[in-house]
Amino acid sequence: MALLEKLHRRIVDMGLVPRIIASLPVVSMVCALFGFISIAILPMDGQYRRTYISENALMPSQAYSYFRESEWNILRGYRSQIEEMVNMTSMERNNIMGSWLQEFGTKTAIYENEQYGETLYGVMHAPRGDGTEAMVLAVPWFNSDDKFNVGGAALGVSLARFFSRWPVWSKNIIIVFSENPCAALRSWVEAYHTSLDLTGGSIEAAVVVDYSSAEDFFEYVEISYDGLNGELPNLDLVNVAISITEHEGMKVSLHGLPLDQLTINNYWSRLKVLCLGIRDWALAGVKNPHGNEAFSGWRIQSVTLKAHGNSGHDITTFGRIPEAMFRSINNLLEKFHQSFFFYLLLAPRQFVSISSYLPSAVALSVAFAISSLNAFINNTYASISIFSEYNLVALLVWFISLVISFVVSQVFLLLPSAGLLMAISMISCFLPLILSKKVHISEPLSYRLKNVAFLYFSLVLTSLLMINFAMALLIGTLAFPMTLVKTIIESSGEHEVSAKPYISIKTEPKEETELIENYEDIMPGKSQQRQELKNLLLLVLTNPFISITIFGSFFDDEFQGFDVINKLVSAWLDLKCWSWFVLCIGWLPCWLLVLASSFESKRVMLKSKEKQS
Amino acid sequence: MTIIGTLAYCILGTLLLCVAAEDEEPQIGVDDSLWYPYDETLVLKPLPNNDLLVSFSFQLQSEPFNPAISSMSFDAYEHYTTFPRAIPPLLESTGTRQFHLRFTRGFWDALSWGQLPHAGKQAGASGVELWSQVQATDQEQAFLNWKKLANSLSGLFCSSLNFIDESRTTFPRQSYVSDIVSPLFNDTEKLYLMRASLPNEPICTENLTPFIKLLPTRGKSGLTSLLDGHKLFDSLWNSISLDIATVCPEDEGSLCHYEMEAHVEMVAHVPSALARNERPIPKPLDGNTLRCDTEKPFDSYQCFPLPEPSEAHFKLSQLFARPINNGNLFANRPTRICADVDGSTWTAFLSVNDTIFSTHDNCFDLSNDQNESDIGYDFILESTDTTRVTPIVPVPIHVSRSLTGNGQDRGGMRIVFHNDKDTAVKLIYFESLPWFMRVYLSSLQITSTISPQLQENDVILDKYYLQAADRLRPAHLELTMLIPANADIVMTYQFDKALLQFAEYPPDANHGFEIDAAVITVLSLESSSALYELRTSTLLLSLSTPDFSMPYNVIILTSTIMGLIFGMLYNLMVKRMVTVEEADKITFQSGLKYKLLKLKEKFLKNKKTKTD
Repeated sequence: MALLEKLHRRIVDMGLVPRIIASLPVVSMVCALFGFISIAILPMDGQYRRTYISENALMPSQAYSYFRESEWNILRGYRSQIEEMVNMTSMERNNIMGSWLQEFGTKTAIYENEQYGETLYGVMHAPRGDGTEAMVLAVPWFNSDDKFNVGGAALGVSLARFFSRWPVWSKNIIIVFSENPCAALRSWVEAYHTSLDLTGGSIEAAVVVDYSSAEDFFEYVEISYDGLNGELPNLDLVNVAISITEHEGMKVSLHGLPLDQLTINNYWSRLKVLCLGIRDWALAGVKNPHGNEAFSGWRIQSVTLKAHGNSGHDITTFGRIPEAMFRSINNLLEKFHQSFFFYLLLAPRQFVSISSYLPSAVALSVAFAISSLNAFINNTYASISIFSEYNLVALLVWFISLVISFVVSQVFLLLPSAGLLMAISMISCFLPLILSKKVHISEPLSYRLKNVAFLYFSLVLTSLLMINFAMALLIGTLAFPMTLVKTIIESSGEHEVSAKPYISIKTEPKEETELIENYEDIMPGKSQQRQELKNLLLLVLTNPFISITIFGSFFDDEFQGFDVINKLVSAWLDLKCWSWFVLCIGWLPCWLLVLASSFESKRVMLKSKEKQS
Repeated sequence: MTIIGTLAYCILGTLLLCVAAEDEEPQIGVDDSLWYPYDETLVLKPLPNNDLLVSFSFQLQSEPFNPAISSMSFDAYEHYTTFPRAIPPLLESTGTRQFHLRFTRGFWDALSWGQLPHAGKQAGASGVELWSQVQATDQEQAFLNWKKLANSLSGLFCSSLNFIDESRTTFPRQSYVSDIVSPLFNDTEKLYLMRASLPNEPICTENLTPFIKLLPTRGKSGLTSLLDGHKLFDSLWNSISLDIATVCPEDEGSLCHYEMEAHVEMVAHVPSALARNERPIPKPLDGNTLRCDTEKPFDSYQCFPLPEPSEAHFKLSQLFARPINNGNLFANRPTRICADVDGSTWTAFLSVNDTIFSTHDNCFDLSNDQNESDIGYDFILESTDTTRVTPIVPVPIHVSRSLTGNGQDRGGMRIVFHNDKDTAVKLIYFESLPWFMRVYLSSLQITSTISPQLQENDVILDKYYLQAADRLRPAHLELTMLIPANADIVMTYQFDKALLQFAEYPPDANHGFEIDAAVITVLSLESSSALYELRTSTLLLSLSTPDFSMPYNVIILTSTIMGLIFGMLYNLMVKRMVTVEEADKITFQSGLKYKLLKLKEKFLKNKKTKTD
């Protein structure tokens, strides 16, 4: 205590406090910078850890995998039949597949959903076990690229046939054939937990198989694991999938890395996987779902295995991954709980845990809090009482902008027109310029609005960073330029004079900087115009919808044009992915407040001046 | 070598013969007039999909006894003969009139296999189930007796029955009605029916072995010689049941006796059971042994698999890895083996030391002659079309139960009654839910697929609900329901998940908590007598589970905070408040520098004074 006290005294003695207060914008920048740097050092040697299997019961690849040899013949036999199914209706396909599954004793049922089509599923009851737990092998008929999942379906049925011969299962096996890996599969999972009659107990883990080629061979396996709303599968399951795949001699690709980059493991490759990981994590559900996303939210750990290329390993090798994974999961006595639920992978076998990466998002959130503080105290109006009209009006505006944001979020759910939304966003950015001569706000209100805006955003980030780190980091980064928006003060001589009286605040020695700032603020003419243009640019850049669209089209090949907005909306409607609401209710109100604050403002003679003196 | 070998064998053979001849002389054999009340039967019933139901049943009776004479009394006559020695004292000391014990594992596929054997009365829910009628003065006494019974059975059967406590015990009202009326030995006392089950108890050989030991043949001869844990538990569904009842027949005056009925039942998938004999690991078949559909593309690379063959030829010894060793050798009624098969496609043979017999009703009695021991009996079943089996009796109702909802604080239960008959079905739905499932009975809803205007009162005729008490009593729900013809009735209700105390979590806390199966007793519409019994599958409820390293983090955090608060308070109490200037002055005066300065000053002063 004494030490802190001494430090505090020393800082006060040196007059650092006012200096720090004066340079709060810089401190805020430094904080944000610290966030990015702390992410960037993670891929350095010594900062990350090697993955390990935490749950001893899993024992991946300890049992020999037998999905090979003549199973390949059977797989080909099924595949030649499935190849003819491409043009069938889903009902015909499901009926044939259902009859195949029933031949080896699977109980099948078809779940019908008017909106998303039929889903066939079969339950194989475990001979060893009490039938209260289940593992899911999900095979979408059409994969995330809308290709017919020939190999996957053949693998699904031949694996199910193979599994039916084994007496080792202590958990039921459920095999699901859904129309697609996103909405249809998701609706099945939801129905399983609400309205299906044929059930097989609580689902512990799910493996989605995606092998869309009709070829016998493939090159490498892509493993997707990002769940919706920031949920990740337990690291143990991902590790099991990766270790089995590598054990079988295949290369593992994460986040769509091409084959030639899989052998590299250096700082830059790790940084790349890390950044791609954050991107995919933040946009999970918004991007084309791989299938594993569908299981988020019910304590089901799931991964998607996707085969790429057409030479090298044979298809039964691919089948041995789900086989060995099921053998591993079958060993579990408890639910997945041993290993990490929050992690970032840098390479298939390297990861950082939440304690290493969380500080960066915290720093970003602190940066906004400091900006908020800056908007409050770094101006002449800091001394206005808390219950002044400006504060109350700012809070009122905040409330109104929340309501507007909520209305926007709901309206565009019903009427998803990305173009209209972008147009409105763009036009509103220009409002301060267009209405510069007509609408004025008072200067203290402008500061208070920013204060409330950044404080709110900081709160949003803080509450988000724990459950959805990537989303928090992404919107924090994209919205950060917002803190640079400056208050425009009307440039007319009279006001200039009236604004001159300087009200001192408690921290005396900052006069100099304060004066300079004031001087800058009231500089008439060109520089003000320049500031207005700068504000416009910043507002355009930090509008949630424009910003996420720009981000999407620059950093992800999947999105073109205003795709992202439509995908955000459909992600909520189909998958119950909150990203849309995070943007609308987390980010948009803050942006609206900043927009309001960037209207030209008038200086105000402080009434409290008398009180002050 | 072979010659010597044969020679040795011959000598050994004659020696054995001699021994046998000597043995015969003292003439210690079974007196034909001696009647041991023991009955054992084996029924083999092929089911669709190449499955086979194997049911063993054993029936025993104790010597008659007079309940008026205590076993402690001087002139009490006690002899157990073939009746298990362990049981009667247990019944007597706990006042138990009858008890029923079930060990069941697996999934009974009612859709293709139809009704459970014995109309479901011998099959329990997954895990262990125990219910008994205990004579006692009051409920408290009855519970103590029951606890003692459970503990004793726990030791007897190597199962966790000792975990039965008040939080798992229910007193059923209409379910679990026994066909046997228990006698009341003391008119001032009453009979209490109690029931508990342990859904997550794994059933294993350690439960089977003590069970076999209760039977007089003890796995040495007769049907028990077939009972091998490896084979019994390597099945799709298996059930071991034991029922013991006290019976006082009217015509025997004051004499009573115990009746014991034991069943071992299993359903095996014959092709895979046979395949396991040849290849213990179900490795991929050789390419040339694959059975392929030649109508579909078929060559040495691809093969569309055919369904399982519909011809069958197998022996019982292939399923149980050994033949039946003799008949039971002591009871008057011979061991009986029957095949419940469709005569048009199935034939059953009994092989006695490689001689094959057959009968017109496919039932065989094994010789009980002790003089002809060492006979290996085997049973052979042959079929040209295994899909044709004896008519499957459809179950009166299908019930499926599942948990709904997500999250750690609340959930829901969904029960579907599917009646595909043209008549309504009356049933009793019994459910015992652990106290940490806080059921909202107000949320109980009945919906139907056929008539949306169906009222709850049309379906639920009678409702009995005993609310759970934390840690003391499970929730007990018993509904009398009438399921309309050709209808799906969906019953749902919601519940809250309670938080458990730290020490209440089991060692495998993250496994989840198993919820008892619901028991459905189908009643006849006219007489309200029980026609059929079935149990739903058990469920796994996941409660919020603490990270068990958390308490240490909490301890560390709270200690730190406590430390900080204490430090501040202590400072406030013992330190003097001064202004910054004063404090500076004091610090200035208390420093080493100041003291040196003082010292210097003093010296200088002294010098000064000296010089002065």
